[in-house]
Amino acid sequence: MLTFSRNKIVSIHRKDAHILRARGILEDDIYGMEVDVEITLPDLEIVWIDGKWTRMENRECPRAIPFLQEALGFRLAEEGFTQKVQKTVGRKSCRHFANILLECCEAVIEAAALTGAITAKPGEEKTQTGEIAEEKAQTAEVAVKKGVSRDRKETTAEPLRKVTSGGMVIDLHVHSAEASPCSSAPLVDLIAEAKRIGLDGLCLTDHNHVWRRETIDALQDKYGFLILRGNEITTDQGDMLVFGFEEDIKGIVPLDELRKKVLQVNGFIIAAHPFRGFLTFGIGQLGLTPEKAMARPLFQHVDGIEVLNSKVSEKEDLFSSQVALGLGLPGTGGSDAHEVEEIGIYATRFFDVITCEEDFLKALRQKNYEPTAFRRR
Amino acid sequence: MVDILCFSRNNATTVEQMDKDTLVSSCRLQDTLMDLLVVIQVKTPDLEITDIQAKISRSSEAEVPDIQTTLKKVIGVRVGPGIKKIVKGLIGKSATERKLVFMIGECCNGIILSFTKQVLNTAPDDWEGEKNFFANMVKNSPRLYNSCAALSSVSPLMEGIEPP
Repeated sequence: MLTFSRNKIVSIHRKDAHILRARGILEDDIYGMEVDVEITLPDLEIVWIDGKWTRMENRECPRAIPFLQEALGFRLAEEGFTQKVQKTVGRKSCRHFANILLECCEAVIEAAALTGAITAKPGEEKTQTGEIAEEKAQTAEVAVKKGVSRDRKETTAEPLRKVTSGGMVIDLHVHSAEASPCSSAPLVDLIAEAKRIGLDGLCLTDHNHVWRRETIDALQDKYGFLILRGNEITTDQGDMLVFGFEEDIKGIVPLDELRKKVLQVNGFIIAAHPFRGFLTFGIGQLGLTPEKAMARPLFQHVDGIEVLNSKVSEKEDLFSSQVALGLGLPGTGGSDAHEVEEIGIYATRFFDVITCEEDFLKALRQKNYEPTAFRRR
Repeated sequence: MVDILCFSRNNATTVEQMDKDTLVSSCRLQDTLMDLLVVIQVKTPDLEITDIQAKISRSSEAEVPDIQTTLKKVIGVRVGPGIKKIVKGLIGKSATERKLVFMIGECCNGIILSFTKQVLNTAPDDWEGEKNFFANMVKNSPRLYNSCAALSSVSPLMEGIEPP
């Protein structure tokens, strides 16, 4: 017996010489909806859109309809179109309307090519780890370096803060706008905020991005604040925070291959938010227990587990802690900050003195640290 | 002018519980240019993809890539947040492969929605009950807050809920 089914129908016809009209119908066990959209040729611009519910999950769902107008003016051929629809229509209106709208738009592109209205289909969208992201990241590094050399003559470097008896609190999971397209937090603002709230250091773990040592050292000198390097690498088993590893990996890599490479250079891997779950149901509903989760092969390839992450629920963090305890793996904390005000929500308290990357890597291996909540939300 | 269609597409996704621990999700896409089928097998509770099959019955591409080997790369990947990015990175970028990535995403979406359906089936019918139900859902999963219009900060369903 089927436990779920979803049917989508998309029909495209030519309204006139310059407009294709698409109708999309989505019917599944939970939702029923229709969307109509008109798209110009050859620009592939959305010039009219409307939608309606026929069945919905709650009585406030009709609020989604006016927000479909957010898609007006979007061009199907522009870079990042799918992400743009998901972030605007998907969030402000409804993700399921975004789903059927994207299905319509994809069909429109096919129809436009088929009828000869466009000569070439829009190219593959660049992913966050693609060439444009690489170029932006390199440009960001250059800008950061130039800013540092220009300002160095004008400022007096502050000494690094001394280690207190309570240890050093470092946010191990931070994303900067310069190197992570999903972050809106400029690096200098992150540093300023980290200092303001009393953190002892932060670790940059941008998505598939290796910061140059000299860039980070220069920032550390300029701001008198401990800044460490890491990298959040997406593997076939999820996201990993990797430290002490210089290879710039773009794209998805099998975790076992990454592990071999990291071991060769004596680096360190932490499984990032390994139990980040689903929006509408918990992992408990799946029958996942800490004991069963501990058997996941991925835990044979990591040195630690992130057990405090501000982007997952407390239950998911607790589950991670139970798994870490059961496996005897150290737990770490990090904010996973993508906005300045998120930095320091969670962090890791180290009981060793850390003044540089070498100290940091040594401390990670010695496991003399604990995850901690630091900043009140 | 007669409104004859210049393109049409049917996309059907189904999820079936084969046994206590196994779900099978299939996505069939038939449109003016292509006829594709993708079937994934998933084991609970991890939602790990344990098998995947695909069939290209019709394609407008001049050369259809050999997909069977490529598809096996997704075996072992777990259905969950971030899976679309992972699958996209593991499978190639030809037009047919991109379509297959999309269909794998639809299969995974179906699996997730099959669990969502079980949760929503317990929602009360009365307004107060419905309000409490969704408020609790958001309290248990703060990422839901402001994730759509119905759960936005101005929605009556979110009355009294502190933004996370």
